[in-house]
Amino acid sequence: MTAQVQDVLTFVQQQAPFDQLTHSATDYFVEHLEIIYVSGQNQAQWFRSEQPQLYLVRSGHFDLRSERGELVARLAESDYFGYPSLLTGEPISNQLEVVQAGLVYVLPQDAFDYLRREYKPFEQYFVRAHAKRLLSSHYKESASGWSERPVSELMNRAAVTLQPQASIQEAAKVMKKHRVSSIMVIENDQLTGVVTDRDLRNRVLAEGLDPARAIREIMTVRPKYIFENNRIFSALHLMLKHNIHHLPVLNEDRTPMGMITSTDLLRQQKSDPVQLIGRIYKARSYGEVQQLAKEIPDLLSDFANKIEDISLIGQLLSGLSDALTGRLIDLYQQQHGTAPTPFAWICFGSQAREEQTLHSDQDNGLLLPEGVTDEQRDYFAQLGAFVCQQLDECGIRTCPGNIMASNPACRGTLSEWCDRFTTWIHAPTPHAMLNCKIYFDLRFITGSDVLFGQFLHHLNEIPKNELFYAAMAADINVNTVPIGLFQQFKLQQDKHKHKYLDLKKRGVVIINDVVRLYALQAGISKANTLQRLRALKSHQVLSGEDIANLQDCWRFLTQLRLRTQIDREGLPENCINPEHLSSLERHQLKEAFQLVKQAQQACAFKFARGSL
Amino acid sequence: MSWLTQLRSWHADRHLRLVDVNLVVLDLELTGLDPKRDEIVSAAWVEVRRGRIVLSTARHVVNKEVRQLGQSPVIHGVDDDALAQGLSLRTLLQQLTGVLEQGVLVCHNAILDWGFLKRAFIEHEMTVRPLRILDTMQIERNRLLRQGQTLSADCLTLSACRQRYALPSAYEHNALSDALSTAELLLAQNSQLGGAQGALLRQLT
Repeated sequence: MTAQVQDVLTFVQQQAPFDQLTHSATDYFVEHLEIIYVSGQNQAQWFRSEQPQLYLVRSGHFDLRSERGELVARLAESDYFGYPSLLTGEPISNQLEVVQAGLVYVLPQDAFDYLRREYKPFEQYFVRAHAKRLLSSHYKESASGWSERPVSELMNRAAVTLQPQASIQEAAKVMKKHRVSSIMVIENDQLTGVVTDRDLRNRVLAEGLDPARAIREIMTVRPKYIFENNRIFSALHLMLKHNIHHLPVLNEDRTPMGMITSTDLLRQQKSDPVQLIGRIYKARSYGEVQQLAKEIPDLLSDFANKIEDISLIGQLLSGLSDALTGRLIDLYQQQHGTAPTPFAWICFGSQAREEQTLHSDQDNGLLLPEGVTDEQRDYFAQLGAFVCQQLDECGIRTCPGNIMASNPACRGTLSEWCDRFTTWIHAPTPHAMLNCKIYFDLRFITGSDVLFGQFLHHLNEIPKNELFYAAMAADINVNTVPIGLFQQFKLQQDKHKHKYLDLKKRGVVIINDVVRLYALQAGISKANTLQRLRALKSHQVLSGEDIANLQDCWRFLTQLRLRTQIDREGLPENCINPEHLSSLERHQLKEAFQLVKQAQQACAFKFARGSL
Repeated sequence: MSWLTQLRSWHADRHLRLVDVNLVVLDLELTGLDPKRDEIVSAAWVEVRRGRIVLSTARHVVNKEVRQLGQSPVIHGVDDDALAQGLSLRTLLQQLTGVLEQGVLVCHNAILDWGFLKRAFIEHEMTVRPLRILDTMQIERNRLLRQGQTLSADCLTLSACRQRYALPSAYEHNALSDALSTAELLLAQNSQLGGAQGALLRQLT
């Protein structure tokens, strides 16, 4: 009879999902385990594609990397790996990199399958873990990221130190002289304490303490510290964990080397694209703006690998476009004189929704005040033409539909713009509906936000009757999700006979359309779909669950869509061949489309009253 | 056996690696340290096949004939219940011969365990010849000496050895968890000494 190894059992019982399962499941798991010792040299022999197994880390540290070498997960005690292959039946694609050798528990496929069949929570746990990894794996911070670098790279000045018997006033003087917010207190070359400007405030001034007294009395004794060869990430972790803003850095002999502050870390953390926006706003010439714009594609693909929430990518690109536009307008005014009247530069469509991609084209316009003269209109005509042409040279293509400030129709006064909207709303032809879908997603970029505020107000005031909403709902339902009656994908085919699904047109766009309609009805003047959904929570039109579902679907589809832009397979933009997805991803995609379909139908029912 | 087959098997033996053989990692609970006077309270073992510890092979057998438990029940956690579920020493030894035949015996401080086992086998007129006996304590001792380290009194205990490989500390100390701890230590040593392919058996003896 097999004897139970109590040690293994105790460990496994503490792990999810076994902490929620019956003893029989845990016993079965432990009985079928094998234990291996995985080291850098011997690891190749353990992980073979033809024999998928479940692995549970007992000790050691391992980095799981994708085929492209990006860090998927950092594994330590209690982490599982190997389950994606067990769930999907697809070959193992990730690579293991041993950081520190250790023990790994191994469960063979048939035992995994048995547990999955017999215990629902077991199955659920791993399906969820897999889904979570799918969503985040491609956008995890890569190892070359700033947080992996040693602390020493952050330090840019020598340690500022004092003896413990130095007076408080002296400490303040030294801090002033070196322009630092903290000093290290040293005795026999060893760190004994830290005094920060906060201490001077809280422990001296607030207490009315005599500044002639020794800093020994007010210092933080035995402060937390970090070694100069530790990773920046560890420093960040330490500071967050203990809520401290100053961290002494020691070398291996425990000699104080310097201090790092939370500001130093923040400066590091600031992503390069954010810095780029800052640089664009400071550019001194058109040429410089164009130069900076050239950096965008590279920076963006680099950034896409580092972040988890890729809806940020759209925001970031829109932020960059905003910066380019804003700076070009400033430069134009510097050269050709300040605009003769207040104005607002606005954007529409994907830039307004902050969903921009590298392939998005320009959608913009100019809002002018009432009573603008012809002469003044000339100024804005030139401004519009100039900015649109410059943006094109920066890589943002001109709009084929001519929705640009260079087009006279897109340079209107408040009432001219309102007239255009009113026409579309009152005569909801298909063409008008198309315009509504573009122009109702609008956002202020630069100029007079007062003017823009007035415009939004007027836009909301235009009466919208049921006929308009019904027409919008009908228009949304012209577009169908690519799912058949029996849950199969309905694929499109291009001229090369490639089969594909259009994630944007038949997924993301439908969600955007549905959400826009609800937002219009609720009078929400945001353009971003996720922001609109968030705002809709306080209105009674959609249930909390519906909102959450739409948010999840939108994120999932956008994520997949962005991934296809990263590794294209010769398909049209935003398209995907479902056969290249794992079975789990296919399942999730069907669920997502199903939810989109429900939302679409609900919207038709609500606004079109079955007139479809 | 002709000298040629002998030579051949000697040659094959020289190239035998740890992953090529079945290992039986064993720990005994004893009433004392003297094989002549003291008794086996229980024996626990787990097998290592192809470099993997196979938990389904784990066994823990209590010798129900043990006479002089004395202080030990407290230490070993062997109480009357456990004794009642135990087997005779003969059955215990028979089970062990089954796995030891054609296997390599592994213990931490094998002199002690093998001393007791050898004596018990003789007393029961049984013969058992493990392929080889490995001692994780000796492996560690030799490794440290090769590195030119001076050995302190307690640097070769099972837990001290495990710490050196950053293996997790055990929750419990009974024969079975010690047998598993020894097996894990052996795998770590095997990787340390043998790299990608694992160590040769002769490197470990």
